[in-house]
Amino acid sequence: MLDRSKAPEFKIPSSIEFPTPIQRTLPNGVHLYFIPTPEIDAVKLEISSTINETSNSKLLVPYFALEMVTEGTLTKDAATLDDFFDTYASEVETESGFENHGLSILTTKKHFDKVLPVYRELLTEAIFPDKELTKRKKQKALSIHINRDKNSHRASQLFRKALFGENHPFGQITEEKDVDLVYREDLIEFYKKDLWTNSEIFLTGNLDDSQLENIIREIGNIPVAFFQNPTTGFPNQKHQRVAEEKEKSVQSSIRIGCHLIPKNHPDYFKLNLMNTILGGYFGSRLIKNIREDKGHTYGIYSSIGGLKNADYWVVMADVIKEHDEAVIDEVYMEIDKLKNEPVSAHELEVVRNYMIGKLLSQFSSGFELIGRFKSIHQAGLDFGFYQQNLDYILHAKPEDVMEVANKYLHREKMVEVIVG
Amino acid sequence: MINYQQFVLDNGLQVLVHEDRSTKIAVLNILYKVGSRNEVTGKTGLAHYFEHLMFGSSKNVPVFDTELEKVGGSCNAFTNTDITNFYITLPATNIETAFWLESDRMLQLNLSEKTIEAQRKVVIEEFKQRYINQPYGDVHHHIRGLAYERHPYQWPTIGKNLEDIVNYQKADVEEFYFTHYRPDNAVMVVAGDVTLEQVKILSEKWFGSIPLGKISKNPVLQELPQGKKKTKVVEADVPTDALYKVYHMPGKLQDGYLESDLITDILGFGRSSILEQQLVKNGNLFASIGAYIFGTVDPGLLVFSGKMEKGQPAELAEKALDEVVATFLSSTVSENTLTKIKNQAEAMKIYESVQLLNRAMSLAYYAHLGNPDYQQLEYEKKIKIPSEEIIKQANKILVEENSSVVYYKAKN
Repeated sequence: MLDRSKAPEFKIPSSIEFPTPIQRTLPNGVHLYFIPTPEIDAVKLEISSTINETSNSKLLVPYFALEMVTEGTLTKDAATLDDFFDTYASEVETESGFENHGLSILTTKKHFDKVLPVYRELLTEAIFPDKELTKRKKQKALSIHINRDKNSHRASQLFRKALFGENHPFGQITEEKDVDLVYREDLIEFYKKDLWTNSEIFLTGNLDDSQLENIIREIGNIPVAFFQNPTTGFPNQKHQRVAEEKEKSVQSSIRIGCHLIPKNHPDYFKLNLMNTILGGYFGSRLIKNIREDKGHTYGIYSSIGGLKNADYWVVMADVIKEHDEAVIDEVYMEIDKLKNEPVSAHELEVVRNYMIGKLLSQFSSGFELIGRFKSIHQAGLDFGFYQQNLDYILHAKPEDVMEVANKYLHREKMVEVIVG
Repeated sequence: MINYQQFVLDNGLQVLVHEDRSTKIAVLNILYKVGSRNEVTGKTGLAHYFEHLMFGSSKNVPVFDTELEKVGGSCNAFTNTDITNFYITLPATNIETAFWLESDRMLQLNLSEKTIEAQRKVVIEEFKQRYINQPYGDVHHHIRGLAYERHPYQWPTIGKNLEDIVNYQKADVEEFYFTHYRPDNAVMVVAGDVTLEQVKILSEKWFGSIPLGKISKNPVLQELPQGKKKTKVVEADVPTDALYKVYHMPGKLQDGYLESDLITDILGFGRSSILEQQLVKNGNLFASIGAYIFGTVDPGLLVFSGKMEKGQPAELAEKALDEVVATFLSSTVSENTLTKIKNQAEAMKIYESVQLLNRAMSLAYYAHLGNPDYQQLEYEKKIKIPSEEIIKQANKILVEENSSVVYYKAKN
């Protein structure tokens, strides 16, 4: 007779294989990182640049410059490009982040050779026609308006503004009127001077040597500028509360957070563990308390935001309007518990094993590894970061959690935002 | 094609095994053949709410998530109109824990008062977060409510309104469990670094003794053919008008389904599609437009949904859409377009099979329809359909009497 009360035996892996990407350098100085996936017939090629923080271009100019590269080149108009990429089932995607921007293409091994030269055209031959720009501006203005009406979107904007300051690009909020100020000339200037800066190539898929050589040849001749951004530190300010009342809202979107430390800091892995326990997974204390016990929300999470020199910590939730203050108090109460009571051996075991399992599964699907590599590489690190994290998790102690909670989480330095 | 082997336990549980030795993880996916289509008026949203209850406790498992996290696993689930699907990802060495957890909640779920009340609150907040507190959030409530009159597809999976969720009784929940959460109403897929032999032994060990369901499922009330065009005007505090025009179309396994799917591929898929090129890129009424189908088991909907540019009325946009559709009805689909669609379908299969979890879910879904090979068969059939069959189907369903239109108007 089967004894269901007894859980099956289990084993937690103590090592995970972290692959090393193949590295090449193009004639123009661009580094290429390639993770082959012989079993998957898809290809993803991405060029990613560092944003020049001193270049002072207008808001939205990088966004429109990238979006517009598929709206016409010297040899092909917008409709031709649309038809070409759709015919070969290829998706051109743009990245416009705070620190990096770029252009990627997802295609199949079968169509890669045809698609590469046209993708190459987008990098330097775009012409930015007015008609398409006019339409894109109207679309963007509308989406800014719709997003502004979403509490969670608005709360994130206000949080970043309070945290980084409205004069820093990370803290600026784009508005509809910013769209009006973008002109074709701005895009052309940006495209020539500021788009391909410190660029690197991230590549994955089933590619043979000659296809790799093609990429090196095609992209090896685009002009790329190299420079160094100033290192900016963000000290925490004193406590701030930002509230935006919306009469008709049935829920409030809340954010609580502060600046943290960069990923190469010795405390980083401890903080990552502490964050996971507090709000970083479904078994977290915030989920158990605010969702499963009180039912004040559908979801509440905390996370460490990834910026190169300025990682920040934030709690996010959409909660019952009448209970917003109560939820904020509960968050601080949970933080105080972490500061004052050691995590039990059982909870530490659960979270440790969960984190190792998650890591194993994140490194099990070949096609996504390049994205993971890209983000850690752009933070100035490599896959050794994950190995160190694994080594740390295996030996984490309850005192570590208390130590970093006491060191980094202080109510008097937190930014709090309520929208709704 | 996704490789698999399958067997059925004596209690009717269908099991599929997809071996992939290139990974060190495993996925256990269980699909229950129940969704909002199995609900009745007054108890809408019950299928989705029940999915939440499955993460409470069962006789031998105090907290589902904790036991799974302890062995390095994570899980989630979703409910739609037709199915409820639960999935676990974990180190393959610990696959037996997934069998233990899933079998215990299939056999003996604890429907405690505490879980019932806590999840009722959580689902109410989910309803508010997704469908009330968002611009255009309630649009699917309007579309479904207008297009369907008898079939349970007339409400979205979250439920028709908050009141229904507030009013579920313990008896409703228990009846739902004993009717639908049975081995003969489920498909299990085990994928990743596992073997057929291993899965056979573990399935028999953990699921073999779970009894068959005793309560028979009620038949689903089917929709009658629509006789005339239906319209509804909704006014809301949104920045711009939106237009939703839907047409009834065949269910997933019925004749004409793939042709209908192709209609939306041609009209609305990608930046080179007819609607995007004519109405968005070269027009001043639409800021965006899409075309897609509800690929449901029972007859579904073919949907055109668009947002207008600021100040442009949805009624005018409908006229422009109708003109493009009318031209399509008397056209021929070019060879180039058919090639494009074929390439898209082929690439989509590659992109979608990158993830182990997607492969497992896909096998479970097609097995629930009756044959795990359907995905491949559907693909092969779809890429051979000639222009005249597509246009013929379009002329059959894209007619005014078969349409329902929601004009979602910006106040002021």
